[in-house]
Amino acid sequence: MVQTKITSPKPYTRSRPRATIDWTQYNPGEFYDEIISSPGRARPATRSLVAFIRKQTIKHLISRQQAADLAIQEMGITFTVYSEGENIDRSWPMDIIPRIIPLHEWRVLEHGLIQRLTALNMFIDDLYNKQKILKDRVIPRDIIDSSPEFLKPCIGAKPRHGVWSHICGSDLVRDADGTVYVLEDNLRVPSGVSYMLENRAISKRVLPQLFERNSIQPVADYPSQLFDMLTSLSPRRNRHPEIVVMTPGVFNSAYFEHAYLAQRMGAELVEGADLVVGSDDKVYMKTIRGLSRVDVVYRRINDDYLDPEVFRPESTLGTPGLFRAWRKGNVGLANAPGAGVADDKVIYTFVPAIIKYYLGEDPIIPNVPSYLCFDPKQCQHVLDNLETMVVKPANESGGYGMLIGPASTKKERALFADLIRKNPRNYMAQPALKLSTAPTLCGNNIEPRHLDLRPFILQGKDHYVTPGGLTRVALRKGSLVVNSSQGGGSKDTWIVDTEAD
Amino acid sequence: MLSRVAERVYWLGRFMERTENTARLLLVRHNAVLDLPKEVQPGWDLLLQVLGAEAIFAKLPGAAAEKNIISFVFGERENPSSIISSLTSARENMRTTREILPSETWERVNSLYLSVARRSHKDLPRGMRHSVLNNIVQSCQQVTGMLSGSMNHDAVYQFVRLGRNLERADMSTRIIDAASAGLMGNIHETSPFRNVLWISVLQSLSAYQMYRLSVGRSVTPEDVLSFLFQSTIFPRAIAHTLQEMESSMKSLPENEAALKVVKALRRQLKDTDCSTLAGPALHDFIDELQLQLLEVHRVIGVTWFAHEEGV
Repeated sequence: MVQTKITSPKPYTRSRPRATIDWTQYNPGEFYDEIISSPGRARPATRSLVAFIRKQTIKHLISRQQAADLAIQEMGITFTVYSEGENIDRSWPMDIIPRIIPLHEWRVLEHGLIQRLTALNMFIDDLYNKQKILKDRVIPRDIIDSSPEFLKPCIGAKPRHGVWSHICGSDLVRDADGTVYVLEDNLRVPSGVSYMLENRAISKRVLPQLFERNSIQPVADYPSQLFDMLTSLSPRRNRHPEIVVMTPGVFNSAYFEHAYLAQRMGAELVEGADLVVGSDDKVYMKTIRGLSRVDVVYRRINDDYLDPEVFRPESTLGTPGLFRAWRKGNVGLANAPGAGVADDKVIYTFVPAIIKYYLGEDPIIPNVPSYLCFDPKQCQHVLDNLETMVVKPANESGGYGMLIGPASTKKERALFADLIRKNPRNYMAQPALKLSTAPTLCGNNIEPRHLDLRPFILQGKDHYVTPGGLTRVALRKGSLVVNSSQGGGSKDTWIVDTEAD
Repeated sequence: MLSRVAERVYWLGRFMERTENTARLLLVRHNAVLDLPKEVQPGWDLLLQVLGAEAIFAKLPGAAAEKNIISFVFGERENPSSIISSLTSARENMRTTREILPSETWERVNSLYLSVARRSHKDLPRGMRHSVLNNIVQSCQQVTGMLSGSMNHDAVYQFVRLGRNLERADMSTRIIDAASAGLMGNIHETSPFRNVLWISVLQSLSAYQMYRLSVGRSVTPEDVLSFLFQSTIFPRAIAHTLQEMESSMKSLPENEAALKVVKALRRQLKDTDCSTLAGPALHDFIDELQLQLLEVHRVIGVTWFAHEEGV
């Protein structure tokens, strides 16, 4: 892969023309690049960014990157990784070169995301109530019966607006031909939105010039959109609702985000032990003034730990009775327990059928073609083509327990073949996509790096989609793993209106 | 305000004060050693007595000698009342309440913790004690000053202040108790060093200069005790800490029960005749005082931290 080089390695002197960035040296090869259409040529929405960078020296860009890193440290933007028995707070890694998506393309994706979440919520509501989709044999009943995420205590529950997953983070990727696919949906407790907001704050600080030249969709109103959505879940409609963010505590990897969102919404950040459920089946928080009623809990704690009365009895992170209060309609829970049944990676393969079934529409954003290992024919295909496949366990997140075929060793493939044969229901596979790239500052060069995008979709009474989302980038050369726990970084994401210029 | 958050900042106040007082105690002990001839020097184990840490010390290897005791009080994580343990707890309480406290205080506490943690497994040689301990005292005072000068004096602040004053009262009683029992026990009534020892008690509480200014007489046990128990103008005197607690409680909700306990204790202290307090009578008096301070702590827990009654 050819890299952008400094055209002159000599130190800058006043008499010499300054060594600036040469875009013709940047070549993403066979991959679709988000910024460059062919070496030296910008895409229409990225023209002013490309022109701006062309005028910069690498030194100046590096100094801007350092300014960004320093700001991140000072603002205390961290994520926690658990390693060698210790929790370490790491500074959030952000590359200063933004990722740009034109507004007209984004409008389509936005509709696609709303369509998808609407259908998925109808699906979850159906599963826990009439199960029409199973009776109509669109989805095999076995899949639901064997899913550990189908929670029997939720059967018959009717959350407000029929919505179970109120906050969804769907991961989008772009293949070599430019098609955008949904890679997976996170319907339980998706995280990352605070980093999306902070990335924007940082890039406004270090690259203010670019904001004057582009019409970039603002993202800053997410906390107020979230607040409004949560308000729409309140059981007491005639008064100002008490909303709380429930965190498992300071040792959770996303604690920063929990504290951030609580602060931005002006909500209390509570732990399980701060809440009690009274004999009236209502939720209260313990304050210095005594008990005070809670209307909506934005919980950032997994179903398993939510309520020891119903789920894991040994959990000390949750609140006994919370589930009961929710079933009685005395408290709004976002997301509702049991929503995870629809982000199972096996269910994922049925999402196009789910959209068709409930909405009578074709999916606007396609799924990545997927093979289900519990089907013997598809399983054989996966086993025969492990080298070109990405194999995922049905119920893991964070990029753990995956096999990335093109980057795997023979031994790893043999190990996975065994795992798949032993427990086919637990695996699905997709052909390895040629993930798109974007220019990223790597040492003294600008090099292409692979990325994805996680937009956040809210559904309560209404819908909202963040303009853009969190772009995660694999900082290691050639790597496709974007998770921050595994060496991934991030970029600010700009939805640019080209017609406004 | 959540009860849990209130409790954490209360403990933050307590642990910061405990850190400062323990450092001060080591510092004074260190200076006293330099002033006194060997035969009248109190044993180093007196420090363990003040901190109520004799049992834990006995469990660890090493004799009750100067070097071991200093390390134990400074950097031993097994010792819950060591400086490093207090700072660790202060920092942990602050880490989870960061968003409601001024950000520079977190940075100050964090960097103090890091500097002590770096030293904690090493000895503290005589030549370094003064600068290391003094830095701890000053950093703690900086944090107190930052909170007092740059945050809203709202409920959060009042809970930090409550914790600080209750801890201060507790530490003062411990120091007076240990001094009267351990220090004076083996020194004859007429020994010229008695005076030096009472002065070092005042110094342990940073009270010597203020005592001189406000009492204006030579150092007598009765005057010292009256100053340390009953002064309403010296910040480390028990009466003053109670006054501060009362003032904090007055701006908190649902305060009747807690105020009642503190007011009763203040009245009782005011009515005490310090000339009757000597030897065993002093020890009993302090014992009773400490039980009442525990009662203040308990009633704070029940009133604001959602502790169950009786726990």
